[in-house]
Amino acid sequence: MAMAALRREGRRLLLSPITPNPSSAARSAMSISPEQSAPIGLRSISTQVVRNRMKSVKNIQKITKAMKMVAASKLRAVQVRTENSRGLWQPFTALLGDTPSVDVKKNVIVTITSDKGLCGGINSTSVKVSKSLFKVTSGPEKETKYVILGEKGKVQLIRDSKGSIEMTVTELQKNPVNYTQISVLADDILKNVEFDALRIVFNKFHSVVAFIPTVSTVLSPEVVERESEAGGKLGDLDSYEIEGGETKSEVLQNLAEFQFSCVLYNAALENACSELGARMSAMDSSSRNAGEMLDRLTLSYNRTRQASITTELIEIISGASALTG
Amino acid sequence: MASAAAGAVAGAAAPFWRAAGMTYITYSNICASLLRSCLKEPYKADAASREKVHFAISKWAQGKPEKPVIRSDTPEE
Repeated sequence: MAMAALRREGRRLLLSPITPNPSSAARSAMSISPEQSAPIGLRSISTQVVRNRMKSVKNIQKITKAMKMVAASKLRAVQVRTENSRGLWQPFTALLGDTPSVDVKKNVIVTITSDKGLCGGINSTSVKVSKSLFKVTSGPEKETKYVILGEKGKVQLIRDSKGSIEMTVTELQKNPVNYTQISVLADDILKNVEFDALRIVFNKFHSVVAFIPTVSTVLSPEVVERESEAGGKLGDLDSYEIEGGETKSEVLQNLAEFQFSCVLYNAALENACSELGARMSAMDSSSRNAGEMLDRLTLSYNRTRQASITTELIEIISGASALTG
Repeated sequence: MASAAAGAVAGAAAPFWRAAGMTYITYSNICASLLRSCLKEPYKADAASREKVHFAISKWAQGKPEKPVIRSDTPEE
């Protein structure tokens, strides 16, 4: 009973210092109230704010951890397919060569990006590479255009290169990447876009933490013929014997189309792999940051809680001593 | 397309599909789906899942996109 009287005295004394210095005393008081379930009275700012923050940071950490797991599991499946698809274009490069330095009039830059975000910086690097490629390949009498695959690239390139965009393709990631889809897309590009050389910009997947922006060049059949006249690697094509009733230009045309389709397929797969890997590492660092933030918030929360308890004790004791003394 | 015309005119006996306006890619896709439909049941469903196509393509003219055309589930073009 005496203690109850002391507590009441203490509370009355507490009420006055509240207004000039509400922050720590009030915050601490509110923190006591739900834990000790004692009706306290007027307290304003509270540890409630800190507690809400901690709850939301914890949720974010859980979500990013889950996203990382999802990306990791998807990555394993796509990686196998990517490594298998590398064998599709290697014979083409062995036969026709990959000549990024070829000088042609009409260039089309095919930029492969993702539709979804939260995947680190891979889309920005692809766009950067495409823009510098654009600068390199444009000049007098030369024409360069963009074909953009994926939302993220579209959004970034719309900002300053609106006039040079030929086509944009979105919603590609609704189904997992398969050759049929890519070849239909390649067919569309072939039918609608005039080009002498196609430059495909994508992120090649080296390992889970390393993605290299790469450019693959595919030439149109006429340019291949021209280069083969000029000699060099392509000039050896004449030493091959062609069976069937087709001429060399026919075969070259078929080969060039198929090469484009295969290279695009491989590029799409590699980019998908890189996207998943980048998302994994981005979500990983995000959950680590969330954990650190949570630690810091917990420390500050405990400090204010303890300070408030100390303050309340001091007030009570000083109130009691004021009574007795 | 310029090279298709060149293929039909300059080449000796352009193949029928080239003359009809298809590219080699389309031709091989049709052949592939014919092959996929020759499979027996459990494998047929697996192969059919590898044939799904869905994307939205939109052409741009003078810096403005036109209405996107959605290509869906048409493995043959």
